[in-house]
Amino acid sequence: MTSGVAVDLDDIWIRFGDFVAVREANVAIRGGDFFSFLGPSGCGKTTILRAVSGFLEPSQGQVRIGGRNMAGIGPNKRPTALIFQNLALFPLMKIWENISFSMEVTGASVAERRKRADELLDMIALSGQGDKLPSELSGGQKQRVAIARALCANPDVLLLDEPLSALDLKLRQHMRTELREIQKRVGITFIYITHDQGEALTMSDNVAVMKAGVIEQIDNGHDIYDHPATPFVASFVGENNVFRGKVIQINGNEAVIRSNRSGDLLSRITPAAVGKLRVGDDAMMFIRPEVLQPGAAEEDGRNTISANVIHEEFEGNSFSVLLEGEGGKTIKMAVPNAGQDKISNRGEMLSLHYAPANAVVMPAAELASE
Amino acid sequence: MKRKMIFSDFFRNNGLVMGGMLMGLVGFWLIFLIILPQLSMLDYSFRHNLPPAELGGPKDVYTLSNYQHLLYGSDTTHQSYNTVDLKVFLRTIFAAMMVTVFNIILCYPLAYFLGQSKGSGLVRLLVVLLIIPYWINEILRAFALRIIFGENGLLNEVLLFLHLAEAPIDFIRQDIALYAGLGYAYILLMLFPIYNVIESLDRNQIEAARDMGASWIRIHRRIVIPHAKPGIASGATMVFMLSAGALAAPQILGGPSSLWFTQLVYQWFNDSLNWQQGAAYAIVLLVATITIVLTVMKLFRVNMGDIGK
Amino acid sequence: MNSAILMRLALGAYLLIFFSYLLGPLVVMSLTAFNSAAFPSVSPWACFSYEWFNVLFNDKHIREGIYYSIIIGIGTVILSVSMGLAASIVLTQIWPRLRATYYTLITAPILIPGVVLGISTLVFWDRASRFLGAEDGSLLHGLFHNGIFLTILGQSSFIASYAMLVFVARLQRFDPGLTEAALDLGASHTQAFRKILLPFMRPAIASAAVLAFLASFENYNTTTFTIIDYKTLTTVLAQKVRLGINPSISALAFIIIVLTIFAALAFETVQRNKKRQQEVKQGRIIAAKGSLLPGFLRGNAAAMAFCLLAFAVIVLVGTAQSYSPEACKIRVQEARQMEIQQSIEALQKARAEKEGAQPVAPVPETLAPAAPTSGAFGNVFAPNNLNSGD
Repeated sequence: MTSGVAVDLDDIWIRFGDFVAVREANVAIRGGDFFSFLGPSGCGKTTILRAVSGFLEPSQGQVRIGGRNMAGIGPNKRPTALIFQNLALFPLMKIWENISFSMEVTGASVAERRKRADELLDMIALSGQGDKLPSELSGGQKQRVAIARALCANPDVLLLDEPLSALDLKLRQHMRTELREIQKRVGITFIYITHDQGEALTMSDNVAVMKAGVIEQIDNGHDIYDHPATPFVASFVGENNVFRGKVIQINGNEAVIRSNRSGDLLSRITPAAVGKLRVGDDAMMFIRPEVLQPGAAEEDGRNTISANVIHEEFEGNSFSVLLEGEGGKTIKMAVPNAGQDKISNRGEMLSLHYAPANAVVMPAAELASE
Repeated sequence: MKRKMIFSDFFRNNGLVMGGMLMGLVGFWLIFLIILPQLSMLDYSFRHNLPPAELGGPKDVYTLSNYQHLLYGSDTTHQSYNTVDLKVFLRTIFAAMMVTVFNIILCYPLAYFLGQSKGSGLVRLLVVLLIIPYWINEILRAFALRIIFGENGLLNEVLLFLHLAEAPIDFIRQDIALYAGLGYAYILLMLFPIYNVIESLDRNQIEAARDMGASWIRIHRRIVIPHAKPGIASGATMVFMLSAGALAAPQILGGPSSLWFTQLVYQWFNDSLNWQQGAAYAIVLLVATITIVLTVMKLFRVNMGDIGK
Repeated sequence: MNSAILMRLALGAYLLIFFSYLLGPLVVMSLTAFNSAAFPSVSPWACFSYEWFNVLFNDKHIREGIYYSIIIGIGTVILSVSMGLAASIVLTQIWPRLRATYYTLITAPILIPGVVLGISTLVFWDRASRFLGAEDGSLLHGLFHNGIFLTILGQSSFIASYAMLVFVARLQRFDPGLTEAALDLGASHTQAFRKILLPFMRPAIASAAVLAFLASFENYNTTTFTIIDYKTLTTVLAQKVRLGINPSISALAFIIIVLTIFAALAFETVQRNKKRQQEVKQGRIIAAKGSLLPGFLRGNAAAMAFCLLAFAVIVLVGTAQSYSPEACKIRVQEARQMEIQQSIEALQKARAEKEGAQPVAPVPETLAPAAPTSGAFGNVFAPNNLNSGD
């Protein structure tokens, strides 16, 4: 089908009175991408989406869709379709009327509309349900109707505002796969808003992580997880153990920090901070729970931490161990289930080590407050 | 600059056609039906009643004489007060207040009863019965009372029959008919607001209070009435304003010797054809009633926003 | 236990008093419509008669008044519903700092005495016509001094506030996301309004329209100033009631009361039916088949009352066509004459005893009202009569 249309945000600022909702957003979304904005509520991601769909005009900067500047073009004239958080299905219209609403407003005949609606109903596996009212459908069905309604307008860009947040867990996971498949099939650009990192990482080609109106990092899911650009990204996406300290030594792209509670620790400098981090800087080091392993390191002592076991939980695919390091420092460790009975005993003193290449260090900054 | 922003936002949100229509309708209402008419009435009240030929002439100047007339009558020396008109004015305000108080007392128990016994068949029937007189013309309702209170009316017949009175009582001349009629005319405007707020009161609150040993009086004083205050306030405001501004009931039920203030206004307009004087009296009525409503609301700590809910 | 019974008794007595105060006058007034006595009364009951309906239907002023009331009502509904709807939509979008002022402004007309609204409308448009330099006899002058035009404007100025309150209540439950969704799918603002907001508001528009029409129909205080040389039903009634009352007004009131009860019962019936259907749908009540009563009557007291009332009215109109109270009337008149004669004689006797012989006072001649030619209602139901309305 279509190869997809690129969306560019050039130096977008959005202010409401004195409040800056979006600050200096520069994003280039390739045509046909599944692109997510990820961030906690109130970070400005929905505001960006509304600027793309045309419900609000940025205070400064340009939104370009397919290279065309969208300034002054209303939402009904833009080649975008939005799926609302609460879906916004028209309650007084039948399902098929809902789906073909975009044709109704252009004056298409009833027969044409009905035909197109039936095609789309087939696509979302709701054949024969066209004469029901939205209130007669289940949550997941409504979800699919909302998608069909948006696709009926043949948009170049589909915008989705946390459309899965109202569904239960099982359905949410199912819809993730389905959404991704629909996107592959229709081949248009999807822009997806979510606060759920799982959704963002599983579905997206690229993710922009936002904090308080600022885009902290844009990368593919893998890089966001493994090479976070800022402490916020590191702590917001996935679980992480944080160690604060001062940089005492830098060797190429590795650094040693002296943490106040856990001694000297060696780690890789995150790509975004290479060349910026200096000796003497305040720094933060992040080690993911699954990177930590029980037992002391063989060669270098600067990748070993000792801690007391407080609690251990069996989670099926892994064991999750909560430990307390020096000075009350909480540390989490996840060990894959390889048939062991257990990893540790309560109160036991363990030595933990990690591969320095799997930990990252970066200049200190605010963390996600989750 | 900021103002321009708001308007452009408004048209962005509504489109040019819809935005224009909305603005046009609201603007027409606010400007041509509310603000300008009130202002021009105010302006009129400060002018002399001149024949058309002298309009715009040297005599067409602003004057306080229309207001002075209410205070001093046509007596230009300002020696004695216009006791006739002032009495009518004070009586109107006072009687309207009494009617309001009477309505509160009469309606509160029923509103409480209806509001707290939800959904039963009897309550639905009572509500339907209440709505029926609501839609009967104000004049017909006054007429109905006149039949009852007339010299040969039903009430006199009953009183004579029961030997409670020896001669027919002239209810009309004694203004009893008028007060009963005013109380009757707007009673439902008192009942429904109170009923609405009491209906929204959680029954558990009353149960809880009773459980803690509160007496009925205390329950009403501490729980029901504070909750119902906005309803009582809006009911009282409506009843007071409508009673003070009533015209039909006094015309039909009022005694020949005692007038209602609105009747004076009516006379200035339709009998004396002195619009300026009538406008001045109307302004006095408007300002006085609104001042009283605002004062009472302040006294009882009710917000304007609660009214009309 | 005893105090509970006392409480119930007190409540019962209170309800009785309240409802007799509320409904008693209407019942009495309705009854007087059927008494042949020239003054509306029930207690010296003369004859059961339909003649006052006849008088009512032949009253040209009342017919004219109803005609203009309907015209003004329609105009007021159109103007006030559209202004109220626009005002409520603007209220949802207005800049927060202006909101309170705006709300006060658009609700103020409810509190302004109707007399004041009538006067200000009259004064303003008179002023406007002079400001625009409209001369006597010109079209603009005629319009600005036209009773119908002024009355519609004067009434709409406050009825729009009532309509607005109805709309605000409904709008609070509207999801603005629906309008945005429609815009996003390519609808113009006008289309989004027509296809999304308007259908959602339809029930509120219907109730606001009914409310506005009734409010307009029964308005007196404003209308009496703005109507100038036209008349509406209320101004005709007010004039009649002030100049002298007769039972034809009771007859009109009776008709209005019956219509109101009809409307109330119909509304209640529909409501209950809806509720019932929903319950049946949800499987809480099984729709019993093979019952004697037709479906919509089952378990619906309002519907049954509705049918009974309809039946009663049909019977009433039916008997009115054939019933003639002439014989009774003559009897009553004779009795009355006798009574008068007796009292005069008694009076004469008393006087004669006191002052000796005096000239006899002339016997007042009580004229019987013109006898209806055939049946009551003056044959309003005959097809020709409908055309001769005005």
